[in-house]
Amino acid sequence: MALDPKFVGRAYGPFTYEIGREKLREFSLILGGAVPSAGTFGEPPEHVSPLLYSQEAAQAGPYGDVIAFPSFAVVFAIRPFSAAIADPELGVDRVRLVHGEQELEFLGVMRPGDVLTTTGSITELYRKAGMDFLVVTTETRNAKGEPVVRGVWTAVIRPA
Amino acid sequence: MARTFQVGDTFTHVRQCDRLRPVYYAGASGDYNPIHIDPEVGKLAGFNGVILQGLCTLGWAVEAVAVFVGDPGRVRRVKVRFSRPVLPEDTVTFQGRVTAVADGRLTTEVTATNQRGEPVLRGAVVETSLG
Repeated sequence: MALDPKFVGRAYGPFTYEIGREKLREFSLILGGAVPSAGTFGEPPEHVSPLLYSQEAAQAGPYGDVIAFPSFAVVFAIRPFSAAIADPELGVDRVRLVHGEQELEFLGVMRPGDVLTTTGSITELYRKAGMDFLVVTTETRNAKGEPVVRGVWTAVIRPA
Repeated sequence: MARTFQVGDTFTHVRQCDRLRPVYYAGASGDYNPIHIDPEVGKLAGFNGVILQGLCTLGWAVEAVAVFVGDPGRVRRVKVRFSRPVLPEDTVTFQGRVTAVADGRLTTEVTATNQRGEPVLRGAVVETSLG
């Protein structure tokens, strides 16, 4: 059954997230290929920028402190998308859902201690080639209200 | 030393999806969807077992460009379509090509293919600032 287009415009959030230094480091190193074990990430893979995990190196660099790897944004910016998928009134069949497309725009770097608030809403619901498409657009702002990340999240619900 | 970039410049970045990478990425990202950590759920979905989070593949495409420009803080935009899941034990080769250098911004198109030559991303574009 097609998703009801009356849900276009439905909003989710705000969701607030505070960036923790160690979480940010963990994300960068694990995405970069590190193997985690108790209390250590092992040797940082060579291609991972020290700006992402070494406070010492980062202090000498352009940002003065470690920064988030850009796609760390998905950790918090995904929340309106997840909320839409889980919305019982919308009725998404999660077993048939795949993540179809993703766009992220970064308007500034993200640093430890940033308190970020994400809101989002359903911007498109349509059916194409027998599949349902659910598009959620998100905006994340910092504590000063400045936009930091914008996202466009597209889920595809395959036919039964 | 300012590095210059030109349209047509290319780069390659190779990443292994080791057997436990979906589990590691689940912990780091909070994406605990069972299709990424429970092989039985992966089988129910029509795969041999778990599949890697698409957002991890997106992250690797961003990483390929971040390594190329030498600064992850310069990435401004990424857009991808997920065309095929990455599976544990897959090797993904990212090949980037600079398509525009204008207005302080570098645009790159990135292809990502598994070891069978099948694309796992389509239409991947990553933009960075130049300074």
